[in-house]
Amino acid sequence: MMTHENYPDPHHDTYSRTIFGFWVYLMSDFILFGALFATYIVLQDSTFAGPTAHDLFHLPFTFFQTLVLLFSTLTAGLAGAAAHRKDKNKTLLLFSITFLLGLLFFGMQLHEFSQFLAAGHSWQKSAFLSAYFTLVGTHTLHILFGLLWIPVLLLPVYREGVSHVSIRRLTCMRMFWQFLNIVWVFIFSFVYLLGAKIT
Amino acid sequence: MIDLRHGWNLSFKPQFIGFILSLLLTVSVYRIVTHHELTDSLLTLTVVSFCTLQALIQLFFFLHLGLESKPHWAMITFLFTLLVVVVVIGGSLWIMDNINYNLMPPMEH
Repeated sequence: MMTHENYPDPHHDTYSRTIFGFWVYLMSDFILFGALFATYIVLQDSTFAGPTAHDLFHLPFTFFQTLVLLFSTLTAGLAGAAAHRKDKNKTLLLFSITFLLGLLFFGMQLHEFSQFLAAGHSWQKSAFLSAYFTLVGTHTLHILFGLLWIPVLLLPVYREGVSHVSIRRLTCMRMFWQFLNIVWVFIFSFVYLLGAKIT
Repeated sequence: MIDLRHGWNLSFKPQFIGFILSLLLTVSVYRIVTHHELTDSLLTLTVVSFCTLQALIQLFFFLHLGLESKPHWAMITFLFTLLVVVVVIGGSLWIMDNINYNLMPPMEH
């Protein structure tokens, strides 16, 4: 007779099941962004005599933004490892750095959006701008939710130290942030770098 | 991603490796684009391949995809989602390309 050990199941405990469930959520988000990327690629040349990607984007600004988000992803990953080590101080410090860098990224994105709007380049101007604001705006909204989520998770850590529940939630948070950085790599490449190239 | 036996959940090292590699790729692709030294199609190819490479590096070193033990549910769900996304993006581009082609005004001669 086969014993239970013959079928190793890594998803036996709450931690593994939660992390896997969160992974499946991230995969559904992946499809969402995939659809938005498809829309953007189809519509990027439909500028309706308005500004093109080449006219609008200021690459050095976005490059700095990319570095800020990449660095915040590093601190999020380190914070996740610190949480698993039950190192309360490092967890709090590193996730706070992630929060502050995320806030800087969010502010820079809002600054870019407001500059476009002030110049009259709103989402109503052309199909290209509609697709741009939808794609990048959806990413920015995700960042905003991440920024709201971090303090909520850090408060119990600050009060009671790193518990098992905290480790599980902080790991989901860490994965969410790392996933958003991968999405940003695609936005930076396809929207900004390739957009700046089109002349 | 899920399996704790590798100890990657506790380790700072993979995060640093992933960060350094991503940083190198980001800085070099930015330099390549801003220096305008490549032809148009070669530049597109470079940007797309650097982007894909960086995504794979981050999936492995940051999200630890591929490190779990059997039955590899995270990898299976990832590959299936990737298939869906490829069909969505590839299908959209293919359909729109055909529409643009078929809506072109007929040639005079």
